[in-house]
Amino acid sequence: MRITLIALLAMPVPLAAQIRASEAGMISQTIDGTTITVDYSRPRARGRESLFGTKYVRWGETWTPGANWATTIQVNKPDTMAGHPVATGKYSVWMVVRQDSNWTVVLDPKSHLFHMNPPDSAGSQIRIPVRVQSAPFTDVLTWSMPEVRMDGGVLAMQWERVKVPLDITVQPSLVTTLPAGDAAPYIGQYSFSEKDSAGKERLSLFTITHEDGTLKGQWTPDDPYMKKFALIRIGADTFAPGVYDEKGVLYEILKPDLVVEFKRENGKVRSFTIRDMEDELWGTGTRKP
Amino acid sequence: MNMHNPILSDMRKDITRRGFVTSLSVGVAGLVLSPRVANAAPKHPAPRPGITGEHVLKGKDLEKYPKLVPLFDSIRKIPQVIDGIHCNCGCTNGMEFYSLLSCYEAKGMARDCAICQGQGRLAVRLHSEGKTLDQIRAAIDAKFA
Repeated sequence: MRITLIALLAMPVPLAAQIRASEAGMISQTIDGTTITVDYSRPRARGRESLFGTKYVRWGETWTPGANWATTIQVNKPDTMAGHPVATGKYSVWMVVRQDSNWTVVLDPKSHLFHMNPPDSAGSQIRIPVRVQSAPFTDVLTWSMPEVRMDGGVLAMQWERVKVPLDITVQPSLVTTLPAGDAAPYIGQYSFSEKDSAGKERLSLFTITHEDGTLKGQWTPDDPYMKKFALIRIGADTFAPGVYDEKGVLYEILKPDLVVEFKRENGKVRSFTIRDMEDELWGTGTRKP
Repeated sequence: MNMHNPILSDMRKDITRRGFVTSLSVGVAGLVLSPRVANAAPKHPAPRPGITGEHVLKGKDLEKYPKLVPLFDSIRKIPQVIDGIHCNCGCTNGMEFYSLLSCYEAKGMARDCAICQGQGRLAVRLHSEGKTLDQIRAAIDAKFA
């Protein structure tokens, strides 16, 4: 009997078989080169209707929105959360839970902390006031990125009937606007030539304007996908098209899929080419007299 | 120019809007899978003295890729240029790949990678137009980095 017990104790227990009340989870979202990663354990309500303001999460408590080891947020580039600058790094995440819905999200540079040991308030922390929202009942504590824009998104924590949204803004990799002086050489009308599959030339009109501080291009007849699109400078006399959504917000930059290269003669912009990712020529524009 | 209407379909049967989006997804997947930090300014390698194009794939290594033979042939002719270019698909971050030239040698990643191919074609074209290595690097960075 004793030998059997020793043998059983000596047997390795595979970690993968471990069943936890709060299983490990992770979300990661990349926006324009900035990657935000939330690593956390996911407690479940398990039939408990109320969690906040009870013995599970008390009002006034500094609580990690997770379980076991404190939830962490890692960013690979500086960004802002609810307008507060967040430097590149990994932070443990805490929330000061208040009954009046005005909570404080705390990012502490000490990232490896146990949930029972919340950090004291410190100058090294990033403290972000947030307004808690009501939400449908969520059984498993969930971090998500329900909104993604070209310049950021919304990171949210939901549990029970509580939602804590954090608006994130990332550093843009491209400047979408162009000063009027820089835009002037490109503005005008161009005759655009492309070939169909039979090798027959098709001509259209391509117009470049400068509107709201942005260089814009448009074909006539209109291209139903591109419509009037932004021309975003990516190099000397080189631009990538930026496509607007129905609300007029840029949502996609076609780089390296389509690149517009302008050619100058005697310093003046006379023509341009459009090439795809594989440098295949899609068409040529020549300035109209 | 039309990104997804019948004119484009007529014009380029191989690149419909759906094909375009697919190619975009492949490109994005390549970028996501690569270990590089997106948007980080790439550091181009110095061309190795005496580098040649003798290891650029040819013959039976390209049997299944007949459309790529002209590209590989062009790359083979200008190794001193291609060896000075960082490949933005992420492959040159590893120890095995020194430069864009490496993508066209040995394991022949350029046979299947649209980014390797695009950078190669751009470099070949700009070199034929008389551009310097620095100008070619700048153009590749603008489009692919």
